[in-house]
Amino acid sequence: MRGLTRTFALGLVLAFIATACTGGGTATPSATAAATASTSTRPKFDLATYQYSLQTKGKIRIGTQEDNTPFSVKNPATGKWDGFDVAYGREIAKAIFGESDDPDKFIEWVPVTSATRIPSLTDNKADVIIKTFTINEDRKKQIDFTDVYFRTGQRILVKKDNTSIKEAADLAGKTVCAQRGSTSEQNITKATTGAARPLLLDSYPACLLALQQGQADAVSTDETILFGLAKADPNTKIVGKYFSTELYGIGVKKSVGGDRTGFVDFLNRTQVGMITNGVWATLYEKYISPVSFDKKRTPDD
Amino acid sequence: MPGGIAFEFPQLYFTGLWVTIQISILGLLSALFIGTVVAVMRVSPFAPLRWIGAAYVEFYRNTPLVVQLFFLFLGLPLIGFRFSTDTFEHIFRAASIGMGVYHGAYVAEVVRGGLLGVDRGQIEAARSLGLSYLQMLRYVQLPQTFRSVIPPLGNIGIALVKNTSLASTIGVTELLFAAEIVESRTFRAEEAFLAATLLYLSLTIPLGIAVNTLERRMLVAR
Repeated sequence: MRGLTRTFALGLVLAFIATACTGGGTATPSATAAATASTSTRPKFDLATYQYSLQTKGKIRIGTQEDNTPFSVKNPATGKWDGFDVAYGREIAKAIFGESDDPDKFIEWVPVTSATRIPSLTDNKADVIIKTFTINEDRKKQIDFTDVYFRTGQRILVKKDNTSIKEAADLAGKTVCAQRGSTSEQNITKATTGAARPLLLDSYPACLLALQQGQADAVSTDETILFGLAKADPNTKIVGKYFSTELYGIGVKKSVGGDRTGFVDFLNRTQVGMITNGVWATLYEKYISPVSFDKKRTPDD
Repeated sequence: MPGGIAFEFPQLYFTGLWVTIQISILGLLSALFIGTVVAVMRVSPFAPLRWIGAAYVEFYRNTPLVVQLFFLFLGLPLIGFRFSTDTFEHIFRAASIGMGVYHGAYVAEVVRGGLLGVDRGQIEAARSLGLSYLQMLRYVQLPQTFRSVIPPLGNIGIALVKNTSLASTIGVTELLFAAEIVESRTFRAEEAFLAATLLYLSLTIPLGIAVNTLERRMLVAR
C-alpha cells in the first residue's frame, strides 16, 4: 500500500515536470511567429539602442497616473486608458513597433503617482514616464528628460464666490491644497515666501473635494490640471496669472553602462515627427482644447 | 550613520515624530475607552445594548481605516460637522478620533473575551453578596479582565502606532509624511524611509517592552 502511494506521488511529480516543460517548449515558437509576422512594418533600429531591445522584447512599459484628467485617466468601468499623455504614449509605441490599430497590445501601463515617478524609473519598473512631469534641475540629477513636450504654468483654483484670492500673493495665510511630492507645493511656498499653509494630499481630485468641503481655500497647480478640475465642478473658477513656468518632459532612466543608448534622442526625434505631421496638434485639440478653449500646433505656441 | 538624514531635516522628522506620538496617545486612550464601553455593552444583560455593541464592532472592524479617515476628514463637513474651523486642527483631530474608533473595535473584542473569561462563580458570588451589576463590573469583572488582556492590548497598541502613518493620506504631517517630503526634495528615498523606519521602531520597541513588563507585574496566579 505504502509503495503504491509513493509510486503515485512520483508519477504526479513527473507529470507536473512534463507539463511544465511542454508549456515552455510551445511558448517559444509562437512568440517567434508573432515577431516575424509584424517584421515587415516595423521600423529598423541600430542593434545597440534601447528602442531596439524594446522592439525585440515586444513591450514598452509606460508609467502614468490613473486620475490626472485631461492627461491620463484609466476608465474605471472599462479599464481603458485615455488622455493626452496616454495618446502620446501610444504614438511612441507606434514609433517603436510600427503602425497598429491597437498600440495597447505593445504597452504595459504602469500606474504611478507624483511621488513614485522617479523611483519607478530608477528601479526599472517603467521604460518611460509620461505624466505631467515637470523638468527641473533636481530631477535631472536623477533621471533624463526628453525635450519639452508640453508647456504650461501654475495658477489657482478657488470657489466661484471667492473674491479674496486673485493672485498668488493673496494665498498668504490661506490653506492651499496641492499634491504631495509635486513642484506645485514648492512653487506655492516660493510665491508666498512660505506664508501659505499647504494641505498636501495624494491627488488633485482629493484636493477638489477639500476645496468643495471648505477644508482648503484654494487648489494650486499647473493650469492644465486645474482645467480638468474646473470642468468637473462648475462652482469653481481659475484665477491669477501664471506664477511659474512648467515644462513637461518624458522621463527616462539615465543610461548606465549604455543600457538606455540612443533612447532620449529617439523620443526627441519621434516628437519632432509628431509636430511636423500634425499629430501633436491633433492630440492637443482632442484632449486639451475642450478645457482650455485654445489651439496649439507645437508645445511652444 | 543610518538614519542620519533625520538630523539634516530635524524640523520635518522630529515635528513629524511628535505628531505621531500625539496621535498615538490620543488614539490609544480613546480606543481603550471606546473599546471598554463597547465590550461591556456586548456582554450586558440588555439585548438592544448588545446589538449596538455588535454593530459597532462589525462596522469599524470591517471597513478600511483610510476610508474612515477620509469620512471624518471630508465626509463629516459634507453634513455640516467639523472638529475645528481650522483645517489643520480638523485633520489632526479627525486622525486621532479615527485611530480611536477603529482600534476601539479591536479593543472591544479583546476586552469582551476577557470579560467572558472571568469565572462565572465569581460573578454569581458578587451578585449574591448584594453588589449591583455595575458594582460587580467595577470591582470584580473588569479588574480581572484587564490583567488578562494586557498582551493582546499591547498588540493593538503597537498596530495603532504604525497605523498612524495612514493619517498622512488626509494631510497630517506626521512621521511618514515628513519622510515623503524629504524624499521628494532630496530623492534620497532609501535614507529618508530608513530614518522613518528607525524612528517608528524607537516608538514600538519600547512600547513592546513596556507591555511585557506590565504583563509580568500584573500576572495573577491562577
